[in-house]
Amino acid sequence: MNSSQSKKIVILGHFGVGKTSLVRRFVDSMFSEDYLVTLGVQVKKKVVTIDDAKVTLIIWDIEGNSSISKARKSYLTGTHGFLYVFDVTRPETFENLEDEMDFLANNFPSIPVCKIGNKSDLLLTENAKEFFEQEQYKDCDFTSAKEGNNVENVFQKITKQML
Amino acid sequence: MVKEDKLQLLRDILLIDDREVAQAINRRIETITDTIERREKLSEKVDPIIEERLKLFVEEIPLSLGPVITDTLKKQIAESKDQVVEALYPIMGKMIKRYIQSEIELLSENMNRKVNDTFSVVAVKRKFRALFTGVKESDLMLSELDAPNVNEVFVIQKGSGILLGNLSHTATVDKDMISGMLTAIKSFVEDAFEGGGQDLEAINYELYSIHIQNFHTYYIAVVISGTYTKSFENKLENRLLKLSKSLSPRISTLTKEAIDGVLIEFFKKWRVQKK
Repeated sequence: MNSSQSKKIVILGHFGVGKTSLVRRFVDSMFSEDYLVTLGVQVKKKVVTIDDAKVTLIIWDIEGNSSISKARKSYLTGTHGFLYVFDVTRPETFENLEDEMDFLANNFPSIPVCKIGNKSDLLLTENAKEFFEQEQYKDCDFTSAKEGNNVENVFQKITKQML
Repeated sequence: MVKEDKLQLLRDILLIDDREVAQAINRRIETITDTIERREKLSEKVDPIIEERLKLFVEEIPLSLGPVITDTLKKQIAESKDQVVEALYPIMGKMIKRYIQSEIELLSENMNRKVNDTFSVVAVKRKFRALFTGVKESDLMLSELDAPNVNEVFVIQKGSGILLGNLSHTATVDKDMISGMLTAIKSFVEDAFEGGGQDLEAINYELYSIHIQNFHTYYIAVVISGTYTKSFENKLENRLLKLSKSLSPRISTLTKEAIDGVLIEFFKKWRVQKK
């Protein structure tokens, strides 16, 4: 099917990790402190340019789940790339990271995944920063939807991996 | 030195600091008096404070007074229904009357046009249809007035919800987002009311219907206005089957522009109307 220029990205992760804020920051360049639970799914679109080629990203910001296995399968089908978001201040959102990645590898082989530690602006102590320098987090990207840090980069990164 | 001069000298020595203080106070009082008495100077000082307070007041009103007003209104309406009806009746009555008048005018114009068109091909066809089917010509005329129209056509990839092609004259909401949300709704309904791999086939809302026809790797969503009759649905289904025969074998190789072109060609006779 000819969809080389349109790509579907699904944002995964627990409740309240900042999935919607990340999308909002990327698409609308906005941030709000107000937390509104996403019900079902919100679809957003942004056109990015990678090496002179225009790519239309259709971003599915789905409701938070404690495990990907609990997400609606139909929302995940046909996905070209996943962003798995966790909150660096809440261990329960990243303690099963490995299992979650295994689930994606088994059910969606060859679909690129980016692991994102959001709310990096709240990583204030040296200890906390050192914690995420451990081996299992070495390929994670750290963002702050609030301050806009690294948000553009992670979307560029996943887009490049999808092409 | 006379006695008075000596006294003055003593006064000067002893009271010089107090005099300076008194003079400074006088100058300050003069400045304040000037500020208070001259409007432009006063407004320069006071306006920003008033503006800030007003802004705060306006922002806080819906939060602080909103629930109180809503509760009061609810209570008032519940307690004095008759008075509310009495008060609203003339306004609502006029609105409804005006709406019905304009709809009747529209209907009468359309009927007149059709009656005046007695010898047109369509009118002759209608007469024959009435003759052979037994349906009154007036009923046929009425059904023609609210005939279904194709407003938009979307060819959407299953699963991903990516828009493969589109035929539309409106530029309101982004078409990619419509196809994404439509797929999300479709996925949700198909998941929620699990019935063994069944597909959502229609969405109806007040003035429009969305006909959904599923194929192997894609589905076609058609937005229809007017009275969506069973006969029109059959006609549309057959048309979409024909379209799929043309699209399916080459859909993986066609660009979006090419699919748009196929849709224009396919729905040429259907006259896709503006909303």
